Amino acid sequence: MKKLALLTGLFALLSLGACIKELDIEPVQSLDATLALESASDIESALVGAYGIMHQGSLYGTNLNLVSELLGSEDYCQWRGTFQSYRQIMNKTITIDNAEASRTWVDAYRAINVANSVLDNLNKVEDAALRAEFEAEARFIRGILYFELVRLYAQPWDADGQNNGPGVPLSLRAASNEEGASVKGARNTISEVYAQVISDLTAAETGLPESRSGTSRFRATNYTAKAFLARVFMQQSKYSEALTKADEVIGSGNYTLNAAIAATFSNKFTAETIFELYNNDQNNAGTANDGLTTFYASLPGIGRSDVRVLAAFTSQYEANDERSSQLIYIGTGRRPGSRQTGKWTDFAQNIPVIRLTEMHLVRAECNFRLGTAVGTEPLADVNAVRKRARASELSSLTLDAIIAERNFELCFEGSRIHDLKRLKRSTGTFPYNDPKLVLPIPEREIRANSALVQNEGY
Amino acid sequence: MKQTLLLLCILCATSSLIAQSYNVTGKVKDDNGEPLPGVTVVVKNTIKGTTTGSDGTYFLEVPGSDAILICSYTGFAQVETPVNGQRTVDITMKESGSVLGEIVVVGYGTSYRQDLTGSISTLNAKEFELQPVQTFENALQGRAAGVFINSGSGKLGQGLNIRVRGISSVSAGNQPLFVIDGIPVISESIGTSTEPDNPLATIAPEDIESIDILKDAAAAAIYGARASNGVVLVTTKSGRAGRTKVSLGYYGGVSSPTRKREWLNAAEYRELFDYAAKNSDFGELSGAEEFGFETGTDDWNSNNDTNWADEAFQNGGVQNVNLNISGGDARTSFLISGTWNDQTGILVGNALNRLGGRLNLEHKISNRLKIGTNLNLTKSLNQRVPSDNAFTNPLQLNALPPIQPKIDPNTGELNQNTLYYNNLIDLEKGFNDATTYRSISNVYGQWDITDKLYFRTEYGIDWLNLQEDQFNGRETLDGAPTGVSYSNQVTTINQNVNSYFNYSKQFSRNFDLTGTLGMQYQSGERTATSATGAGFPNDRFTKIASAAKILGASSTETAYAFTSYFARVNTKLFDRFLVGLSGRLDGSSRFGKDQRFGFFPAGSVGYILSNESFLQDNKVVNFLKIRASYGRTGNAEIGNFASRTLWGANFVGDLSGIVPTQLGINTLTWENTDQLDIGLDIGLFNDRVSATLDYFSKKTNDLLLNLPLPATNGFTIITKNLGSLTNNGWEATLTTQNFVGDFRWSTTFNISGYRNEVTNLNGSTIDGGSRQLGRVSEGEPFGYFYGPKYAGVNPDNGNAQYYDINGNVYDQEDFFEIPDAERNQKIGDPNPDFFGGMNNRFSYKGLTLDVQLQYVYGNDLYNIAGFFQSVNGDYFDNQSRDQLNYWREPGQVTNIPEPRLYSGNGAIKSSRWVQDGSYLRVRATTLSYAFPKAISKRAKMDNLSVYLSGQNLFTFTKYEGYDPEVNATYISSVNLGHDFYTPPQARIFTVGFNATF
Repeated sequence: MKKLALLTGLFALLSLGACIKELDIEPVQSLDATLALESASDIESALVGAYGIMHQGSLYGTNLNLVSELLGSEDYCQWRGTFQSYRQIMNKTITIDNAEASRTWVDAYRAINVANSVLDNLNKVEDAALRAEFEAEARFIRGILYFELVRLYAQPWDADGQNNGPGVPLSLRAASNEEGASVKGARNTISEVYAQVISDLTAAETGLPESRSGTSRFRATNYTAKAFLARVFMQQSKYSEALTKADEVIGSGNYTLNAAIAATFSNKFTAETIFELYNNDQNNAGTANDGLTTFYASLPGIGRSDVRVLAAFTSQYEANDERSSQLIYIGTGRRPGSRQTGKWTDFAQNIPVIRLTEMHLVRAECNFRLGTAVGTEPLADVNAVRKRARASELSSLTLDAIIAERNFELCFEGSRIHDLKRLKRSTGTFPYNDPKLVLPIPEREIRANSALVQNEGY
Repeated sequence: MKQTLLLLCILCATSSLIAQSYNVTGKVKDDNGEPLPGVTVVVKNTIKGTTTGSDGTYFLEVPGSDAILICSYTGFAQVETPVNGQRTVDITMKESGSVLGEIVVVGYGTSYRQDLTGSISTLNAKEFELQPVQTFENALQGRAAGVFINSGSGKLGQGLNIRVRGISSVSAGNQPLFVIDGIPVISESIGTSTEPDNPLATIAPEDIESIDILKDAAAAAIYGARASNGVVLVTTKSGRAGRTKVSLGYYGGVSSPTRKREWLNAAEYRELFDYAAKNSDFGELSGAEEFGFETGTDDWNSNNDTNWADEAFQNGGVQNVNLNISGGDARTSFLISGTWNDQTGILVGNALNRLGGRLNLEHKISNRLKIGTNLNLTKSLNQRVPSDNAFTNPLQLNALPPIQPKIDPNTGELNQNTLYYNNLIDLEKGFNDATTYRSISNVYGQWDITDKLYFRTEYGIDWLNLQEDQFNGRETLDGAPTGVSYSNQVTTINQNVNSYFNYSKQFSRNFDLTGTLGMQYQSGERTATSATGAGFPNDRFTKIASAAKILGASSTETAYAFTSYFARVNTKLFDRFLVGLSGRLDGSSRFGKDQRFGFFPAGSVGYILSNESFLQDNKVVNFLKIRASYGRTGNAEIGNFASRTLWGANFVGDLSGIVPTQLGINTLTWENTDQLDIGLDIGLFNDRVSATLDYFSKKTNDLLLNLPLPATNGFTIITKNLGSLTNNGWEATLTTQNFVGDFRWSTTFNISGYRNEVTNLNGSTIDGGSRQLGRVSEGEPFGYFYGPKYAGVNPDNGNAQYYDINGNVYDQEDFFEIPDAERNQKIGDPNPDFFGGMNNRFSYKGLTLDVQLQYVYGNDLYNIAGFFQSVNGDYFDNQSRDQLNYWREPGQVTNIPEPRLYSGNGAIKSSRWVQDGSYLRVRATTLSYAFPKAISKRAKMDNLSVYLSGQNLFTFTKYEGYDPEVNATYISSVNLGHDFYTPPQARIFTVGFNATF
């Protein structure tokens, strides 16, 4: 009896021993890193994943638009929401723990690391053509993000200077373990970062496909790379290079202006956009505390009117200009009665990042500055943009008129502060190169990386 | 496994032969001759024991006619009675303040308090049965030394903060391990809200027999890798042999907030904002005009005077019915209980009701073999209120301007054109229900192999299904424009097997030994499925079946497992020296593959000086024991897959890609806490005075920390076992029987304190966020407040002023010019200097008055909402009334800067809103009357008592917010003692009765 009982007990204990094997439990919602990138389709998934990061509110989903607009908000727009982070940006009283400065930095490098992971794993792609295309796409992603970083976190490019000031750290290898993720990169110079941007985008330009179709239209083509190169060259005041790229994009014939400008923002992947974020009801930058629509809109149940547009800006439009009559409205939702931009009114809408009109205006400005007429006369480019907006066509042109046209056309799309900086124009009392117009290197980053130097003024 | 076998063989070899069985029966009574049910009767130096039935009767098979019976019962002195060859042994027990003879539940067994070498606090049902608590953790508040409990807010069903002996972890959680009838249960929040729900709220306090809290390593190390935060062992009631007893209890009551705050009325509001607008940095503005801009209304010129803050509250109430039937015979005992509890919160829209049943059954197949089961099923429905941080949190109504009407005169409906969302619309046009079904049940078998050795095996399951249903109608903030419905189903299943031997033998008069050897396996699994839909025909359709558009849907799954072996040996030498050793080997799927098993040993010694001859007959000291323990425990709440480097999905429109989601290392593992405990238990004047003192020193190493990485490589953190911290503290409990006899007065007082210091964070700091002050940094206590120090107002110009770290005072705009590092400093500490409680119980005949006080001293609180509500009219939020004392003219000395609309004068986070959070609270007061037996008998009842009770009747504090017992939980756990529109506690009055038939 006693022995039987003991044996039973012992058996029960031993049978539990089998449970040790049960300690090997694999996650079901994630893949171990060693298994994640094994085939061409895995590599493509990683590329899509990188775009996914760029779609977030920290990057093109909100901040690469809104931060630029609020840095140059004087006589233009006003932040009146409760988020201190944006209020600081508007007031140029940014602290080093500013949440926007931090999340934009972090997510840009997250996406860059995914791009680097693709580049480091290209050997998993057997098809050479596909391999080249993926390489180009990864370099596109890396290139545009370094461009966004350097123009937000470093002093503006000085066309006449050495540009030896601190840019941002260039990280060109993927980190997949603790050692790689702990590398303390110092800030490369502004010129080194721009060189990398141009190198990446130039490589992308040659390797990317001519066009994309269906739901892949959010992915870059060689014209997307060219359009970004045009932006980069404009930022560097390299007008002839910018002119070439803009002209190539327009000349491709791949893009045409929509009949009505409002259609560009209310439809997905229209003929006019060169780079566009792809959203739907579930996947977008946010419907409550993030996202362009959340901050810019004031419609019943949509948006918070955190940003209102100032009369000082809207009053400059001609009465018939559809960019005012169709795209500026008086809010009827939260904080009703203020002027709002009508570009961002639906959480699920796609977000155009580069449109054909910008290329026209780049070509016009470059031709005007260089005294050339590559593609067409500057006036024709400007009037093409105006005509579509039902604004009166101009008969003559000045540089100021071209810049004004840029503001009319591209307002609230994220180019505000970058234009002011490249044009060396002040915003309010802040001169274009005021250190307050440069975001701080995030506090968390300075702490984690002793090799970093903080920006002037922080 | 070899060692296990070896140990087993030793146990077998040493166990004595089964002696001839000998049956004893008898009655246990108190000194008034009243039978005592529930008394534990054990044969000395064996594992054999039973409890007395409802008429005080016991039946016991003893090894021989020379056996000695030990009777133990809380509140009574332990009695040893030799059987002396008799078959009927009646025993009389004397009431006593002493707890030394009580049975204490230790892991996988029990012990007498006098023999403990570890530190364990015990709370018996008797102590809180007349305090109508809504969840059992509330009953612990202020009653157990070293256990700090903060309810966090007055929201029903909300998770509580429970800390045993300080804060032992930075990131792996600080909640103790809860074990109910042997099953480690789910106590962490599983819902989707940013605020934790409380799975323990599904447990009826009436079902609980006792709660034992294992505090030091000697007590807790048997729970190994999960014991660093202490272990709370909950034992449910069980049936007793004897006449079937039916108990019925009822209470009902009303509740209201402990405090409301004062806000500006319409006239004051206009006055303040008129001034603020005129003096704005943006020029001389008009208050009326700006208010019009901001709200799109003409309300500035209306006659409204709305007390918005009051709209957040309602009259709450509670009703509770408990029916408990128990009984049995010598072989089978049972308990059936049912509880219905219905609470309406003090916050509009907040409610919790619970319906639960229990069957505890035990049957003796033979004298040596028994089986049993504890079955329990509960349903609870919690109508939740939104996170503190949501515009829809009713308390945020206090931000609305008094000049705006609640009801829009044009529509007759709730006003939609308020400065911030009028969240009363949410209540009218939506709901937020969390329904929980839960069963914590087990079956067990116990085989008494010999009189000295038994084997017990238990299989338990904790099954929890949470169903969240939220609907926001088309007019609500989150439901516009066509209604939004959210549904979430979470199922959590914990399965647990405990199998162990317990051994007890007296080898000689001078050597007693008890031992435990066993194994535990636990697996936990959680699956969840959720969906969000929009586009409803109208607000009467609320299920996603009627939604035109699915906004989102998801399903998730996660799992973990533990396999553990444990052993414990306790010896008693010469009746005075106690030595205990225990160890547990814990393996878990959560630990990195290179570090899968951990060993957690503990050793302890005790010395009962009062059993020495020199103290044996001492008139003053009747009991004196000193004890010391040292050992190691772990914290395994590190996440299920934290050691892995993982890739997960990331989305673009209708497509999906993959991105790295975390960086891991294979050596990631549990956190280790080494704890020293030195204690003293003393009984004086025949236990009229008894006290327990403990000093502890806990050093936690291998703290799981998110080592910040340069984000430039794509990862911001890597989780590693890096840090260390210490908690040194002391605790004392003093129990006195001030009066005995007809008028009785007893007092229990406890006080505890701890000093927490984070000693190693690998040089980094953890900050609570841009609005919060909490910080973790080396050389400082966890969560200390760090930020700019407010210096009041410059009397010359009305500017807010701040101190730099050198004590220089700057006007705000100049303050921003100095380097960041010189702007921020330590400005508070949310950790209390000491805390505790005091219970006084007065009784005369059947009348009993029980007063439970609770106090916390020396902690700071930070009101984050100060930014908005006490900021001299920086924006149009209604302001607390103290803001009227603002600076108006040069030379004026005040603490409130000049109001300047939109200008941020004094609006940065700072010590301006840090206050002393000390409080003394009359936690529970109960006046009860037990009718004399003669009367209750006439009504065919054994007992009848009625009572009147008040919870949180008075609170004494200097804190100016709603309630000093506050801990906003939507923010990171680094931010202790933060208040952000956090609802206050409820003051509850109840009346009730308990009747036994």
